[in-house]
Amino acid sequence: MGPEAVIEVAGLTRRFGSFTAVQQVSFSVRAGEIFGFLGANGAGKSTTIRILCGLLAPSEGHACVAGIDVARDPEAVKRSIGYMSQKFSLYLDLTAEENLEFFGGAYGLGRRALRQRGRELLARVGLRERSAEITGRLPGGMRQRLALAAAMLHRPRILFLDEPTSGVDPRARQSFWALIREAAREGVTVFVTTHAMDEAEFCDRIGLMADGRLRALDTPDGLKRSFLPGEMFHLELSPDRSIDALASQPGVLRIESAGAAYRLRVEAGRFDPEKLRALLGPAAVRVERVEPDLEDVFLEVVTQARGEAVP
Amino acid sequence: MGTGLSGLMAVMRKELRQTFRDRRMVAILIMAPLIQTVVLGYAVDLDVDAVPTVVCDRDQSPASRALVQEYLAGGTFRLVGRAAEPADAERWLDRGDAAVALILERGLGERLRAGQAASVQVFIDGSDSNRALVAMSASTQFFVGRAARLSQERLSWLERLQGRSLAVPRLTLEPRIMYNPRLSSPRYMVPGVAAFLLLLVTTLLTAMGIARERELGTLEQILVTPLSPMALLTGKCLPFAFLGLIDVAGLVAIGALLFDVPMRGPLWLVFAGTLVYLLTTLGIGILISTVSRTQQQAMLGALFFMLPALLLSGFATPIGNMPGWLQPITYLNPMRYFVEFMRGCLIRGSGLAELWPKLLVLLVFGLSVLGLGALRFRKRLA
Ligand SMILES: Nc1ncnc2c1ncn2[C@@H]1O[C@H](COP(=O)(O)OP(=O)(O)O)[C@@H](O)[C@H]1O
Ligand SMILES: [Mg+2]
Repeated sequence: MGPEAVIEVAGLTRRFGSFTAVQQVSFSVRAGEIFGFLGANGAGKSTTIRILCGLLAPSEGHACVAGIDVARDPEAVKRSIGYMSQKFSLYLDLTAEENLEFFGGAYGLGRRALRQRGRELLARVGLRERSAEITGRLPGGMRQRLALAAAMLHRPRILFLDEPTSGVDPRARQSFWALIREAAREGVTVFVTTHAMDEAEFCDRIGLMADGRLRALDTPDGLKRSFLPGEMFHLELSPDRSIDALASQPGVLRIESAGAAYRLRVEAGRFDPEKLRALLGPAAVRVERVEPDLEDVFLEVVTQARGEAVP
Repeated sequence: MGTGLSGLMAVMRKELRQTFRDRRMVAILIMAPLIQTVVLGYAVDLDVDAVPTVVCDRDQSPASRALVQEYLAGGTFRLVGRAAEPADAERWLDRGDAAVALILERGLGERLRAGQAASVQVFIDGSDSNRALVAMSASTQFFVGRAARLSQERLSWLERLQGRSLAVPRLTLEPRIMYNPRLSSPRYMVPGVAAFLLLLVTTLLTAMGIARERELGTLEQILVTPLSPMALLTGKCLPFAFLGLIDVAGLVAIGALLFDVPMRGPLWLVFAGTLVYLLTTLGIGILISTVSRTQQQAMLGALFFMLPALLLSGFATPIGNMPGWLQPITYLNPMRYFVEFMRGCLIRGSGLAELWPKLLVLLVFGLSVLGLGALRFRKRLA
């Protein structure tokens, strides 16, 4: 499996009382990889991250981070990892600089090293001019970049970022992802959770979580190939028209409605836009071939998972 | 595996910055205790004088009028009205308009002049037991004194009549109250106020400070650093301990300047005792924070501990006046020992030689509570 694995998880399970938040999850993450963890709210992403950071003990299974068993020696893991929790968790009443000073001290950095590293990181995340401002007065995007800087103070080998771009505007998302890629280029392994599917395209590999289980794990293209074989079409019908005419056609694999529009997946080579127009008749307002995206993968995975859960 | 001193210093610096950045916090920590001491010192003045008194003089003789006048002259009693009948006087008490009724029966002057036995009635409203006791003792003292004077006058008259001296044995009581001769209550109160304010400042703020970090999520961010729980807790507590010492210094100064607290004991002992007491108050704050998820829960938890601690400390009501079954429970109350320690040190001028047992108890309390708090806190990380 190529380079060494820095995160190895086998049969990981975490229960809260009678509720199982994470169930039999196994995967490994290679050094230098951007590993995305996708899933709806409550899928068990944060719980998994907290176990990997040594904040929660697993109920069952093993997790090794940077070669250390997190259940056995959570303290040793802490020096190798940086963590940005889902909820903003720096001090809103301290300045950006003071926040870095505090967390640097908590990581045991000496004063001089800390000052230099702090300046370097503030410049890197674009906060040099605003370093003396009270954190609570910074806009959301800047706060998230400051939190990333705080997580990187001690030069961790692995970064755990739990929904780092939630509630942030699109431009700020882009600049945040540029920082993630920069870190990955320097050899840092990034484990990032999100429920924004467009962001997931930036990941080297993606794990899909649903109801505490890891349902799929592959590169974005690999996921599309294996879960969405065939071709995708985007259809828009005039109101009150039904798509039933298509549903019974041989070669149609799945029809998902997305508001007034539909996403149609068919076996490769059996349909083209003209044929579809002919089949739909005057009901067709718009018919075009599209590339499947991870949203489609996600819907497919969740649908399959539900199908399995029923019996 | 912790980050030791650098981590501890970082926590302290952060804590001081946050505290002093918040103006209201500074006010709560430093100004409020001092103002409260002054207010409490005056408001909880337990000295009793000017007890409202109604007089029912049915005799209306020169002798009865003189008696009433002298009874009121001491200052303990203040005339608020006169009643024609004893039943009227009782109504004054029922209404709460008077706390004492003095009843002089018809023929009192006559009987005294004739050398016969006569009695005087005093009704006392017992709903305020402290005031009732004072009124009772002042009345007793007054009438016992009057009775002695009357027999003395009678005796002198007999001696003059018989032309020889009649030896009659006499016993007089000369009570002398030590250490607080004027029975002034602020003196008694200031040590208790100190104990309570320290509890308020340190327990409440420690509990709420840690709960706040848990509530806001900053604790989670700290817990992924190698910072040891000990460094975190120490760094959070030390600034509050320091503020506690400043508060005690201010309190002792106010006590000395405004309320004549004598400050007999050595000052270093006051501070040493305070430090030992702080171990307990901070430890309880930490313990409370480990069972609280939010600041609100922490505040309620702290109050839940502080109110009984206050009431069972002998802060205002002497422990000896509590019901018998309650008294042993006060031995479990660390605040009790500190109140006694401070009274001993400030008012009686006791030194280490007399006070070490209380310090020892406080030390044992402090180390156990602090240890338990730190242990529970460590467990909560996993
Ligand atoms: N400390 C906890 N106690 C009880 N239930 C929890 C706790 N933490 C998470 N859960 C539950 O576990 C499930 C997974 O939560 P989480 O891992 O936060 O999901 P995600 O991050 O994917 O949104 C949720 O249903 C959540 O309510
Ligand atoms: Mg989450």
